[in-house]
Amino acid sequence: MQPELPKAYHRATLVDLLDRVLDRGLFLRADLVISLAGIPLIGATLSVALAGTQTLVQYGVLADWDEEIRAVAPPRRRVLPDLEMDAAAL
Amino acid sequence: MTTPPINLTADKAGGVYVYCVARGDGNRLFGPIGLDGQVVYTVGNKELLAVVHNCSAQPYQSQDPQVVHGWVVAHQNVVLAATEAFGTVLPMAFDVIVRDSATAGAAGTLKTWLDQKRDRYVQLLDRVAGKAEYGVQVLWDCQAIAAWLAETDDELRKMQDEIRSKPKGLGHLLRQKLAKAMRAAMEKQADRFAQDFYSRIRPCMEDLRVEKPKKVDGNRQMLLNLSGLMRIGSCDLGRVLDEIEQSKGVTVRFTGPWPPYSFVGG
Repeated sequence: MQPELPKAYHRATLVDLLDRVLDRGLFLRADLVISLAGIPLIGATLSVALAGTQTLVQYGVLADWDEEIRAVAPPRRRVLPDLEMDAAAL
Repeated sequence: MTTPPINLTADKAGGVYVYCVARGDGNRLFGPIGLDGQVVYTVGNKELLAVVHNCSAQPYQSQDPQVVHGWVVAHQNVVLAATEAFGTVLPMAFDVIVRDSATAGAAGTLKTWLDQKRDRYVQLLDRVAGKAEYGVQVLWDCQAIAAWLAETDDELRKMQDEIRSKPKGLGHLLRQKLAKAMRAAMEKQADRFAQDFYSRIRPCMEDLRVEKPKKVDGNRQMLLNLSGLMRIGSCDLGRVLDEIEQSKGVTVRFTGPWPPYSFVGG
């Protein structure tokens, strides 16, 4: 059933789940629907920062998911670091 | 599981919270596995059903992160239970609630909506059937890459030699120039890696979305944040990702299978 899994197969973190459940998924747009899609949930936005290292296994979800834990920090834009110091030290 | 939930009409409750849409008919009772232990059941027409619980016509909101986490995890668990029951589902985003209208209860409104959207949802269900979502994140170690480029890039090496040949104090401007050149070289390398890795992963997936990269801890940066829709049981993605991880300073993070959250919207 499962495809051959890559060695780099990491435990999903709560952030991985929040990314999907809060930001993606099917939305409805109709008068009769209440949906917070796209509107940050109070609490949820801040909580993403706290959630990085908690794996879903701790929540009893997907307990057969695998191996090492690597934390992923909250969403931000990619920024190249200030390399002045690194380069100067060469 | 098959007893029709006769008393579970949504009408009095004011709304139904929707977890996912699937193919199927009839009523199915999942029991108290919903948000805050709400009883989860299905509402459907002939071809499509929605997995729901009764609620008031108010969105779920909380100041307490733990409460929100609990809800999101419960949402996911219901979607997984539905996936097990129906094979393929279209997962809803969190907090989608259909409410009563002047002429119909929430369940009735939901049925009308399923009817109206039938073609689109059947098409989406066909598209994701037999497939699952996987997350692939490619990260690199900035310092390792900088050191590697400093050693291997001709122009950077030349500039370093020049700095070393100058008396102390005179190299300042050259150092600034070197830092600028290094940044440019890293950006070029990041693009090269990202394009190369994307083109190697793409053939493994039925569909591949590029998500916004995220900030990560320490010296590492995310080069690529991908959501892929992959046929279950296919693929040599494992080999491809292992090969990518052989690249200088690169690590790969892989998660899944997920319900196809990233491939049902838009």
